[in-house]
Amino acid sequence: MADFLGTPFLWVVATIVLYGIAYWGYGKWIDRRVWRSDAKRTTPAHMYMDGVEYFPVSRYVLWGYQFKSVAALGPILGPFIGIKFGWLPALIWIIGGNFFIGWLQDYGAMMLSVRKEGRSFGPITYEFTGAKGRTNLLAFVLFYLIIISAAFIALIAVFWSKYPGTFIATVGIIFAGVLCGQLLYRVKMNVFAVTGIGLALVVLSIWIGVYTSAQWPSSFPTVLPLGDWTVPAWALLAVLILYAAAVLPTPLFVQPTNYLAFYPAYAAIILLLVGALATPFTNISVTMPPGPILFQADTGPLWPILFVAIACGAISGWHSLVSSSSSSKQLDIETDALPVGGGAMLSEGLLALVSLIAYMVLAPSFFAQGNYPSWVEGAIVLTSPFLGGRAAAGATLTVFFGLVLVIYALTVQALVTRFFRLVSAETWSEGRFRVFGNKHVATVVGLGIPWAFAVSGSWWALWLYFGGSNQLLAGLAIMLITIHLAKVRAPTRYSLIPAVFMIITTLAALAWQVYFFTKAVVDYLNGSSTGIFGNVRAPINKAPYALVALGINAVFVVIGAVLFLVGLSMAIRLFRSYLSSKAEARVKAPAAADGGTRER
Amino acid sequence: MTESKDPAKPKGRSKKVKEGVKGVLYGMAAHGHVTAALRTRMYLEHLFMFITLGDMLGVPVIPPYYSLRILPYAVPNIKSWKQRVFRERDFTDQVF
Repeated sequence: MADFLGTPFLWVVATIVLYGIAYWGYGKWIDRRVWRSDAKRTTPAHMYMDGVEYFPVSRYVLWGYQFKSVAALGPILGPFIGIKFGWLPALIWIIGGNFFIGWLQDYGAMMLSVRKEGRSFGPITYEFTGAKGRTNLLAFVLFYLIIISAAFIALIAVFWSKYPGTFIATVGIIFAGVLCGQLLYRVKMNVFAVTGIGLALVVLSIWIGVYTSAQWPSSFPTVLPLGDWTVPAWALLAVLILYAAAVLPTPLFVQPTNYLAFYPAYAAIILLLVGALATPFTNISVTMPPGPILFQADTGPLWPILFVAIACGAISGWHSLVSSSSSSKQLDIETDALPVGGGAMLSEGLLALVSLIAYMVLAPSFFAQGNYPSWVEGAIVLTSPFLGGRAAAGATLTVFFGLVLVIYALTVQALVTRFFRLVSAETWSEGRFRVFGNKHVATVVGLGIPWAFAVSGSWWALWLYFGGSNQLLAGLAIMLITIHLAKVRAPTRYSLIPAVFMIITTLAALAWQVYFFTKAVVDYLNGSSTGIFGNVRAPINKAPYALVALGINAVFVVIGAVLFLVGLSMAIRLFRSYLSSKAEARVKAPAAADGGTRER
Repeated sequence: MTESKDPAKPKGRSKKVKEGVKGVLYGMAAHGHVTAALRTRMYLEHLFMFITLGDMLGVPVIPPYYSLRILPYAVPNIKSWKQRVFRERDFTDQVF
């Protein structure tokens, strides 16, 4: 019995139960009392049906689409930093953050867009805060995309470097994807036949990855013989692949590759969930300390760092863009918003949970080494007992789970780069800087700057900036939702409190980061270079590159300050809009959250 | 693409479960790609309409003779074309 209690099984069950209460209890209550969703009200999917952007889709399809669009690397890697404060605070944030804020944001963003005729956050921000507010959002999103790209490119490079064989397997999957695209669109082969061929090629790619890693475990071609320059070189290869993904027509590259990549990525999630639930039978116990550890020397204090380190899985601003961009235009009936928006987010919380469990079952020494792809190690510990044992399946599982990490980063990053290109075209469509709106120039900028950050800044610095900006976007999104609720005289406190909490927390996290980098710069000027070298990556973390390291630290100060100021300015605009909407609603005729047709 | 549910006849539980699982798998694996393909087609259709009706809009792209020859193919799409072209689109509409 003692062993049973020491396994993570009970935490999985407790989280599932609490998420169930979040969905069927709190969620249904918010849906009924605050938003007053009405299955009979016409949704934009029906009102503006064009069969392309607006058309009704079943809730199951939309749930699958929403989940796939929001679940990526965030819930997998975020808990790595989170667990440094002990697994208990991380677990509480994954449960509590999702319970009170996460699902509420995804669902609220979807409902807001549905009530605003399917419009996305750009026009809604314009309506609530004016042209300056929208420009502010645009600037924020541009910075945000650069930071995401930097974090993901750095991670792809490190995964390839850390797990020999994964690069070859990744290239194999890309070739398989391109081939399947040709079979599907040029040869017009049946989609099931193409899927079968594609999956066979995916298995072959993994096998080649395993074989090459066994043949050449520490030499070319699985490992680049470049010493400290290995990671920058892998990052450059990632950038070249992403460039092709961003500029080539989607049916040629991104679409079929992402389609094939879906299968191993989701097989890994299922395996991990089964592994976590089977721990009482496989006798795998929690070995990490529960915490809480209130301060970590390399990352900072538990509040606010934990709350930005674990983003997706607890709450993520990216989701609000997805919910209001495409899903809201295809929602069949209003009451589907809860299962699609809220349900997908709560399911993503489970992905964060099983990832946290993969870290919980590892020895603390793993984390002392700063070994952040240790998710792979945890996944092997959880799944190898029912997949033939570590001795027999360890090598295959290492390449498989390593490849899954790369796939998650690469597929999302391909879409982020394309999105950056579109945002650049929007920002610099005219005027003297219109060259930045050009497809190739925008892509080079959107990959070049992140590459420079990826190969210079330490990964946790990039990750915390990514988390900070992502969570701030979430806070701003919930504020937009609150303004709408205030305008229609619906209860606002259930979204206002989370919005204020998120905005204050993320601004505090960004301020902490700025302080941290500024302190390193000041320390260097006073004769100590430990700080500036601690914040950058090899090879520039050595004395000959001191000035470069100093420059990188200074750039990170500027990035943090800009993110902080743009976010603060946006938050002030939104808060003012909220106050004026509240005052306006007080004097206006009665209305309701359903858009004003039903009197309260 | 899985369209809206058909309310005509009630379905059994197993059929509902089967449809649900099928829907979720389709949504995860292919729905995004299908909508992306539809959007690509939409932009190509916009181009076709613009070429065909260009001279009527004051932008002569091809000689009116050819416009008139392909007009019968363009006319049925005019309504949906107008609806799509005049729709407000922002950068946040293009996340996926």
